[in-house]
Amino acid sequence: MEAPPDNDVLWARSLHFTHDDGSPGLGGVSLGVREGEILAVGGPCGSGKTTLLRCLAGLLRPQQGEVWFNSLPVHTMGAFARERLRRERFGWIDPAPALVPELTVWENTALPLMLRGTPRRRAKTTALEWLERLDIGDRARHRPHRLRRAEQQRVAVARALASSPTVLFADEPTASLHRADRAHLLRTLTTAARSHRITVVVATRDAQTAALADRTVGLLDGRCVSAAHLPEVADPEGRAACSLSA
Amino acid sequence: MLALRLSRGARPAVQLRRLLVAAASAGTGFLLLGTLGHALGHPEAPAASLLRLVWCAVPLAATVHLALAVARTDPGTRPRPGLSAVGLGPAHLMAVSALTTALSCALGSGLALLLFLHLRGDLTGLPFDGAATDLLGGGTPLPAAGTLTLLALVPGTASAVVAWQLRPREKGRATAPAPAPAPGGASRPHPAPGAAEAGPALAVVPSTLPWGVAVLAAGLAVETYASRSATASLTLPGGLPPGPLGVLAGWLLTAVGLALAGPGLTHLCGRLLQAARPGALRLLAGRILMAEAHRIGRPLGVVCAVASGAYTTATVPAAPRAPAVLGPLTTLGPLTTLGGLLVAGCAVATLLTAAVEARQARAQHTDALLRLGAPARTLRAAAALRTGALLALLTPLTLLIAHLAALPLTHR
Repeated sequence: MEAPPDNDVLWARSLHFTHDDGSPGLGGVSLGVREGEILAVGGPCGSGKTTLLRCLAGLLRPQQGEVWFNSLPVHTMGAFARERLRRERFGWIDPAPALVPELTVWENTALPLMLRGTPRRRAKTTALEWLERLDIGDRARHRPHRLRRAEQQRVAVARALASSPTVLFADEPTASLHRADRAHLLRTLTTAARSHRITVVVATRDAQTAALADRTVGLLDGRCVSAAHLPEVADPEGRAACSLSA
Repeated sequence: MLALRLSRGARPAVQLRRLLVAAASAGTGFLLLGTLGHALGHPEAPAASLLRLVWCAVPLAATVHLALAVARTDPGTRPRPGLSAVGLGPAHLMAVSALTTALSCALGSGLALLLFLHLRGDLTGLPFDGAATDLLGGGTPLPAAGTLTLLALVPGTASAVVAWQLRPREKGRATAPAPAPAPGGASRPHPAPGAAEAGPALAVVPSTLPWGVAVLAAGLAVETYASRSATASLTLPGGLPPGPLGVLAGWLLTAVGLALAGPGLTHLCGRLLQAARPGALRLLAGRILMAEAHRIGRPLGVVCAVASGAYTTATVPAAPRAPAVLGPLTTLGPLTTLGGLLVAGCAVATLLTAAVEARQARAQHTDALLRLGAPARTLRAAAALRTGALLALLTPLTLLIAHLAALPLTHR
């Protein structure tokens, strides 16, 4: 087992993953994430973006292949060690804002810090600072259900950033937003990540997100491709053939 | 047919819950048939038979309560995208749910009939043939219409209540956002009408706590007052402690008050848990308890009421003819013991089922927390903390109220 290159903070080699029902997830993906960069993982629906992110973040264990984080072999770690790694080093943003509905906005933001054992006062200060930076400081004492969707998603971003992770995984963070909110969220996310030297791996389907990233890796059917070109649409004569046969 | 297919494919835990409903229904059906047997055996005393029939309302209510809780947690009858796509919406699934409940209850009723006939001596060929012929009015032919009516009571009531409670409801078109609960404010719950639709249950503070306390206090007062004026005492069947009618009414009021106060007490417990600068553990435990106050609190209040009833039955000396050395429990008749066990079992099973329902409802939030890297140990500790806090608050309270409620019955 050789150690990864020094400048890569996260490094994966020939990841293979098959879902429980036997459907293929990843078929030999290799990639390296450099420190402080924003890497976009592009590709259509079902191309394995979420699975790749989950494997990299230690949520799923690949059946074959290796995942290294700063010379730590994530693929051989046990469930407890991976859970701890996620808590201490990684951040995660879901497509939908998965906030705890019973906690207020600032408590949600401070929760990862408090789970790490940070004292409540310091966690609160940090959380409120991040909420101010993301323009939702005035909603800090509200509960998530009173916020609009875009605001909730910004809270989720603040929660992921407040614990100052080494690597932040964002799984289609703008999937459920309109375009204006999308641009706002992405701008704040990338600016905050660059100014705090946080490495970001973002799965995305739209070109706008990919344009904000330093580098884009395309996925298609669970494999890395240089540029995700879908096969050409079959010639229009096929339509007649289909309707005849149906 | 669909209901059967959906029922058959369920996991063992779900089947176990359905079996519990069937067992509770069997017990209630047997008690109802026992009333019929008593009426057949004692045609000269219709009032006593009627009193027994009225007492059957308690196990019936407990059974329906359990059936409703089980129907709520049934994964087979929850609206699903796959079934919605083929046109099986919430309305149809409500019917499936009611049908499943009716099936479980009918199974129980059938078992009850078989057991009843067997113990009466009408069916032979098994051990204990006709073991309770006297008790169940053996020797007289059983009227078919009466038997069927009594046996149909449990399945009919249960499925009607399930259908009514699970009927598809849509939110109003223009619901205003709920007013925010006062941050860190008074612990006094206040009613917030209409807030249930606008947000999660947390926004609604249970409003039944003042009612529960009022009913409880009224019950205790009625009991104490009635016990002073020794009026004609009402003899209860099956060896239950006799007492004046006023005392019994007061005691019932106390139990109802305890059940009503359940959600409010649960909410209060959660509020106390997360008070005073909580860390992640107390924050999660307390807030979740506050949010689940409605779901958990109601069955919890019922369990408290049943526990208080059990305490009274255990401490109050029974009818004077009973030898005191044997203790009070030995004087209870077999049917009364069955009824008591049934009610207690139903209450506890309903509480556990409600806990399962709460866990199902929170599953996606738990998953999100685990994705964040929240230790599973912390989540388990939060659950244990909730249970411990509830026990610590409610056990002494129930004991105190049960003791107060039993006082007028013991010192007469």
